[in-house]
Amino acid sequence: MLDVGRHPNIELLAYSEVEGLKGTAGEFTITVRKKTRYVEEDKCTGCGACAEKCPTVVPDAFNEGLGERKAIYSYFAQGIPSTHTIDADHCRQLNGKKCGICAKTCQADAINFDKKDQVIELDVGAVIIAAGYDVFDPSQIPEYHYTEIPNVVTAIEFERLLSASGPTEGHLDRPSDRAVLKEIASLEKQAKKSQKTLARFEEKYNESSASFYDKFQGGQYEGDEDRQKWADKYAAHLAIVEPLESLQKKAEGFTVARRLAFIQCVGSRDFRFYPFCSGYCCMHSIKEAIIAHEHEPETASVIFGMDIRAVGKGFEEYKIRGGNDSNVSYVRGRVAEISAGPDDNPVVTFEDTRERKVKNQAFDLVVLATACAPIKGMAALAETLGVALDPYGFIKTSPLSPVDTETPGIFVCGCAESPMDVPESVAQASSAAERAAEVVFQPEMKEEKAVA
Amino acid sequence: MSKDVLVIGGGIAGMQASLDLADMGIKVYLVEKLPSIGGKMAQLDKTFPTNDCAI
Ligand SMILES: Cc1cc2nc3c(=O)[nH]c(=O)nc-3n(C[C@H](O)[C@H](O)[C@H](O)COP(=O)(O)OP(=O)(O)OC[C@H]3O[C@@H](n4cnc5c(N)ncnc54)[C@H](O)[C@@H]3O)c2cc1C
Ligand code: SF4
Ligand code: SF4
Repeated sequence: MLDVGRHPNIELLAYSEVEGLKGTAGEFTITVRKKTRYVEEDKCTGCGACAEKCPTVVPDAFNEGLGERKAIYSYFAQGIPSTHTIDADHCRQLNGKKCGICAKTCQADAINFDKKDQVIELDVGAVIIAAGYDVFDPSQIPEYHYTEIPNVVTAIEFERLLSASGPTEGHLDRPSDRAVLKEIASLEKQAKKSQKTLARFEEKYNESSASFYDKFQGGQYEGDEDRQKWADKYAAHLAIVEPLESLQKKAEGFTVARRLAFIQCVGSRDFRFYPFCSGYCCMHSIKEAIIAHEHEPETASVIFGMDIRAVGKGFEEYKIRGGNDSNVSYVRGRVAEISAGPDDNPVVTFEDTRERKVKNQAFDLVVLATACAPIKGMAALAETLGVALDPYGFIKTSPLSPVDTETPGIFVCGCAESPMDVPESVAQASSAAERAAEVVFQPEMKEEKAVA
Repeated sequence: MSKDVLVIGGGIAGMQASLDLADMGIKVYLVEKLPSIGGKMAQLDKTFPTNDCAI
């Protein structure tokens, strides 16, 4: 990533999109919209002072909504470029309210609320599409209750929970427990505030609120407006403290998730959604189970799948190592349902094909190995570029020319072409680079590729 | 005729393609929709089958 940022031959146009393409191989003219960040890229040093002071808190997309960021933000800490960006949907100033705190904070004078999008034209000889994939949205599968049961997460969310730079600093804190802790923090804040108000009355009347309240309820002080106020405040305080105490008690029992279920083929190999195998998900479930076990040796994981597809260099060995060393077991079968169980433990209903029995098993956390879906904007991008798509919405290629689109001079690599893992994406990328270089170095060869 | 290349998407595939071309002496424009490059791989904790840290 760093190498890309500093290579003299690479001009990085981040926060930008291609809007038009004219011409043919060797002579394309491309229109690119550089979206405004409302921050001057040549001035911003990426110091982050603005984000620290910005009062607007927004769910953090990089952390899959499991953490928070500000309305002015860097996409992630090591992101390149490190230029900050104002999120125009959430920024107060850009939505007609008074703010501008970031502009006052920025020492580099980089904030510019009047900065507009910039549309530029580029002349290029060849194009490579590497627009990647989207994570399949599992809320489309009603029987898995992804949106209703908090401790059912996607594999990419689980990656963020495992990450030391993620929202839980690498601890497998369950979403339901995190929600309780957040509620506790908010109630504690309210309780502190109401405690302050009560303290003023207690000082004034030299009595504890509790003993006063007993007398008040006994009918003393009728018609005393000030004491009526005190009583109201005390009642409101109790309405905060009582649920707070019960939540605090509940939180005493919280531990990190140790019993993990991984559900394979969520949206893949499923004729309701994508009939294809997404290829990398068996392996990433094994990886996630191994890492979880490294973090916490008591972790036990069950991977539920029709079969485990470990078809790559070193992959089968990796799978066996998971079973032997990392407390991972593999259960053959498709999970029929995930339901809510006691203590926020999701219950997995599955057929054990070896025992020919339908079973229910409770877990601390369930991880969905979601399909590799074409990106949402793919149809529009393909239309802009004039390239064909396959029936699923990936870029169309042919088996003997796997990085050539149907349009000469335009190539594809990575998950924009089809689901594939990192080693395959890198191999395709080098191959696409080679094909693009042929076009710009040897224009006479550009029309036809020699096929073996 | 232009000898430059446009790469759309700054995930691992787009980054690798850009670096290969740039190392051949070709000028590359790398267009990324999001504020930073890195793609999905930047979100991963570690990667199989070596469990090396992702980028
Ligand atoms: C949970 C999970 C764990 C995984 N773990 C592993 C692992 O351990 N090992 C492994 O080998 N593989 C793993 N994979 C697979 C890996 O994520 C992919 O192989 C890899 O990220 C594909 O890279 P890519 O560059 O094709 O796509 P992406 O990473 O999706 O990158 C595409 C880039 O293009 C940008 N883009 C999209 N549309 C546009 C547009 N219109 N204009 C400009 N830019 C655009 C995107 O913002 C993004 O930056 C995992 C996948 C998942 C879901
Ligand atoms: S906009 Fe200013 S304050 Fe914010 S990161 Fe950039 S230089 Fe720092
Ligand atoms: S103007 Fe206010 S809300 Fe908007 S980014 Fe700056 S500090 Fe945040």
